[in-house]
Amino acid sequence: MNGFNITYIMKLSLKTASCAAGILLAIAACAPSTSEQASQQNNASAPQQGGSSEQIVLALSNSEFDDGFDPTLGWGRYGSPLFQSTLLRRNSELGFENDLATNYSVSADGKVWTVTIRNDARFSDGTPVTAEDVAFTFNKAGESGGKTDVTVLQAAIATSPTTVELRLKQPQSTFINRLATLGIVPKHAHNANYGRNPIGSGPYKLVQWDEGQQLIAEVNPDYYGDVPQIQRLVFLLVEEDAAFAAAKAGQAQVASVPQTLAVQSIDNMKLYDVKSVDNRGIMFPFVPDTGKTTPDGAAIGNDVTADLAIRQAINYGIDRKALVDGILEGYGSPAYGPVTGLPWEQKDADIEDGQIDRAKQILAEGGWSDKNNDGVVEKNGQPAEFTILYKAGDSIRQALALSVAEQIKPLGIRANVEGKSWDEIEPRMHSNVVVFGWGSQDPTEVYNLYHSKSAQGDFNNAGYYADSKIDNMLDLAVGAPTQEEAIAFWKAAQWDGQSGFTTKGDAAWAWLVNLDHTYFVNTCLDIGTPQVEPHGHGWPITANIAEWKWTCN
Amino acid sequence: MQLDIASFILRKLFRLVLLLIAVAIFSFVLISFSPIDPIDAYVGADMLQISPEQREIIAQRWGLDQPMMTRFVLWLRQLASGNLGMSMIFNQPVSAVIGSRFQTSLQMLAIAWFLSGALGLAMGVLAGARAGSWLDRAIRFYAYTLASSPTFWVALLLLIVFSVSLKVTPICCATPPGVLARDVTFWQRLHHLILPAATLSIIGVANIALHTRQKLIEVLNSDYVLFARAQGESLVGVIRHHGLRNIILPALTLQFASLSELFGGSVLAEQVFSYPGLGKATVEAALRSDVPLLVGIVFFSALFVYTGNTIADLTYQIVDPRIRVGRSA
Amino acid sequence: MAAPSLPRRTSIRFNRRQITLWSIAFCTFFLTAIVLSNWFMGDTGLDPALTQRNQPPSLTHPFGTDWLGRDMLTRSLHGMSLSVRIGLLAASFSAVIGTGLGLAAGTLGGKVDAVITWIIDVFFSLPHLVLLIMIAFAVGGGTKGVIIAVALTHWTSLARIIRAETLQVNSSDYVQLSHKLGRSPFWIARHHMLPHVTPQLLVGLILLFPHAILHEAALSFIGIGLSPHTPAIGIILAESMRNLSTGYWWVGVLPGLLLLLAVKAFDTLGENVRALIDPKTSQG
Repeated sequence: MNGFNITYIMKLSLKTASCAAGILLAIAACAPSTSEQASQQNNASAPQQGGSSEQIVLALSNSEFDDGFDPTLGWGRYGSPLFQSTLLRRNSELGFENDLATNYSVSADGKVWTVTIRNDARFSDGTPVTAEDVAFTFNKAGESGGKTDVTVLQAAIATSPTTVELRLKQPQSTFINRLATLGIVPKHAHNANYGRNPIGSGPYKLVQWDEGQQLIAEVNPDYYGDVPQIQRLVFLLVEEDAAFAAAKAGQAQVASVPQTLAVQSIDNMKLYDVKSVDNRGIMFPFVPDTGKTTPDGAAIGNDVTADLAIRQAINYGIDRKALVDGILEGYGSPAYGPVTGLPWEQKDADIEDGQIDRAKQILAEGGWSDKNNDGVVEKNGQPAEFTILYKAGDSIRQALALSVAEQIKPLGIRANVEGKSWDEIEPRMHSNVVVFGWGSQDPTEVYNLYHSKSAQGDFNNAGYYADSKIDNMLDLAVGAPTQEEAIAFWKAAQWDGQSGFTTKGDAAWAWLVNLDHTYFVNTCLDIGTPQVEPHGHGWPITANIAEWKWTCN
Repeated sequence: MQLDIASFILRKLFRLVLLLIAVAIFSFVLISFSPIDPIDAYVGADMLQISPEQREIIAQRWGLDQPMMTRFVLWLRQLASGNLGMSMIFNQPVSAVIGSRFQTSLQMLAIAWFLSGALGLAMGVLAGARAGSWLDRAIRFYAYTLASSPTFWVALLLLIVFSVSLKVTPICCATPPGVLARDVTFWQRLHHLILPAATLSIIGVANIALHTRQKLIEVLNSDYVLFARAQGESLVGVIRHHGLRNIILPALTLQFASLSELFGGSVLAEQVFSYPGLGKATVEAALRSDVPLLVGIVFFSALFVYTGNTIADLTYQIVDPRIRVGRSA
Repeated sequence: MAAPSLPRRTSIRFNRRQITLWSIAFCTFFLTAIVLSNWFMGDTGLDPALTQRNQPPSLTHPFGTDWLGRDMLTRSLHGMSLSVRIGLLAASFSAVIGTGLGLAAGTLGGKVDAVITWIIDVFFSLPHLVLLIMIAFAVGGGTKGVIIAVALTHWTSLARIIRAETLQVNSSDYVQLSHKLGRSPFWIARHHMLPHVTPQLLVGLILLFPHAILHEAALSFIGIGLSPHTPAIGIILAESMRNLSTGYWWVGVLPGLLLLLAVKAFDTLGENVRALIDPKTSQG
């Protein structure tokens, strides 16, 4: 057994490897589409990766549009619909501006919205945009079964080539959000395949979409507004670590990264720390357990969290700043309500938290004390113990659940943390504490979170919170004839000096933090002032993409 | 003779049809056990902005409000007319979804399959021939390390080392970002294939290498090898004339068995490199209860695997005369 | 001139049998220690302490701390203990099912073989990740769900290999002899086939073990398995993936090494036990 001649083995391996290599090349040559040799010079269709006013690359992780770019199915609800235009837009302060519309008015009873549109807008196939298209879009969205909800719409009718009447079943002040997010599609060119061939009147047009990989868009020269400076947008649809890698390798000029990676630094890139209303909070079941169940048979109510003292004590006892620093690396802000940073935020509802002693006092005054010295307070024999559920796979929620449980231990409250899938959480969310994340630029969310009618045994008002005064306030907000009046009512529902659903009032939730959305942006790229972004990965930053400018040469 | 072949093919086809039916029923049954609410999965983060009326409309559009049996029957009827249905997630016919994704990932998977087979065999033989030596230890260490590493890890590690630090491979996707499909060259595609294929190959090697090594060690301990050695045959000769034939069997089995890993197993590599193939589509279909898409993919995968296994079975007969003879005995 | 003396033995040399026995003992001890470490280590290191997050290995924290400030050594040991138990259970069940069916198919042949091959084909055709998820869902998730799901999805590969081996041996003389002498298929399977397929079985088992652990992590992240903050080695490794980009290497490398050591220990154990039992190797 001496002198092992490995030549034979090596030869065999070489033979196999070269066979494999041959097969490899043969297979790789069978490309799905014809691939001619690319021309040697850099032509306009393949500029350098480094970014210029001709092209920028954005690495935004998302699957926001697995099903295509059809606004009637929900495309464009976050950020800019890019290929289509909307009647109104939100500016950087989230106020409304005219976009496709030149004017809009609401009837006295709040049920008819009349919108006049401009007459110089054209779709990318040359045909003009008329009120017929607007009416078609709204009607189609109502019957499509997509992610955009216009069920309040009775009918949309074009009364002239530039005027459209949107008739609602009942007044809804929040309907204005549909005007701002529903992109207008051409009536003559809309069919089942529209999502992959989106003809619209937006600032950009779709050039190529490699599903799951990249999206290439080019500027629309016939755009009725200011033609964007950046000629070409390439979106890389990658997940977080790859987005960071792309930025680090200099191949992307904009990259959406998680907070944990935002602490890194990349050459030639600046970190944009964009405030958002993307919030996280824990929801308490509001009613005690009386044996009632939802229509699906899930239990409702939790005897511990039904107690106001417990809810308020937790709100005062948590140190939100520590959560922001420790979990979000400082890229966030404490949240005391669900609408931080939005025009309808009630700042008077903010409290000073991290006060363990005050929290203990609230508990004591509420009748909670530790009689058997086991570290957990009781009241009438009921120990202050409950389960906190969080969606598995979400590291921020996991961290929040674990940290909050840790923070309320000194108060004598024991929280057991479990991470489950939504499907396991759903039947348990009416009787246990759950970490939720919401945050929308549409105040409908507030209604759905706190109105007693919203509690139907699903995600809306899962805690079955009910207060007739608050209900009234919310109804007034939705039915308000103007946006200003609506805002006043939304604020009052949070805290009007005497009652509200935030901590000083009913403390229905313990809102914890707002995430900042962190992006690395090339120092040469001017992205203007980002809006306060809603819940959603990466895409909201494109809201003002038509105004972006490349400032270097 | 012709009757034999004809009856053989008929039998195989019959079993294939049985298989497809069983698989379809299985899928529907499994999904009916799944607690996932497809509407929730479809709506996603906008849950609080969708009214119950809107959810009704969504349910109607996709037929989600009907019981599983009805949906199964409807699906069968559709299938009879050659239509695999519409995918809820991608809003496209299922056949289009499978077609486009399969095209994308075919090359990556084929390369990974061949490479892991060839490398696995080579490494297994080397390790087995030199059992106990440093080479054997090294190969075993490598194999076990890989078997214990999450795919995601390996993929990300390769991405960071080769694409970010060394900048020799691309960051993502099947084609260079920003380049139109008609301008993509064959070499560019190959360039983008390297990392995903490498990730999958590296990990697939472990299984085959270790099983092959085991078999070779056994063979080298047998009587006939002892006899051959006593007659002066070198180690290389032994491996060439006795070893390879005997280890081909587990190696082949594993190779074809790993075919089924191709569907769904590549999802992690696909995710990291944004190389969307059937793997990602499969997992999405399962997690979002997209029944037509899931069943369509399962059908496709069944066909593939069945063909592969049939080929493997036939190959056994060719490779090992004892099986051929033994069957008729 | 002094007479030449025999070369002194400068160290104690064990013979092969002794080395084998010592290896077995050592590996068993190591593995048992890991499984039992749960009860010795205590729980304190498992609570989050945000101010201490992301610290590299030091004297107070030999494995460093993770992104929530938890002690990695405690977590890793707890994790190994849990994962070894789950992984071993799942892998063993899978191996038993696979071997049983493979042997049956190979020995009994004919219709039984056809049916079993068909069942194997059905399981093969269903993408195994999907099957895993679906079965875990159907059984209700949790540890039980993970073990059952992994066991029911990973036996196919092994079954095919064992079937192929059995077919090979079926035609050999001694098997034919036993058959002619009237031995039942079960007897043949137990006395001839099983010893023959044991090496492949062991390899398959040892490869299944880390595979099961990683799948358990995948299921947990989807939400079906354990809670993702449970210390389990698969989960810890998957979490650490996030830190590749940040450079906090200790969160992934050190637990990974621990897992590798365990797998290696199993492997050594398996090899040595087989060396003792298998007549081909136990007599040198």
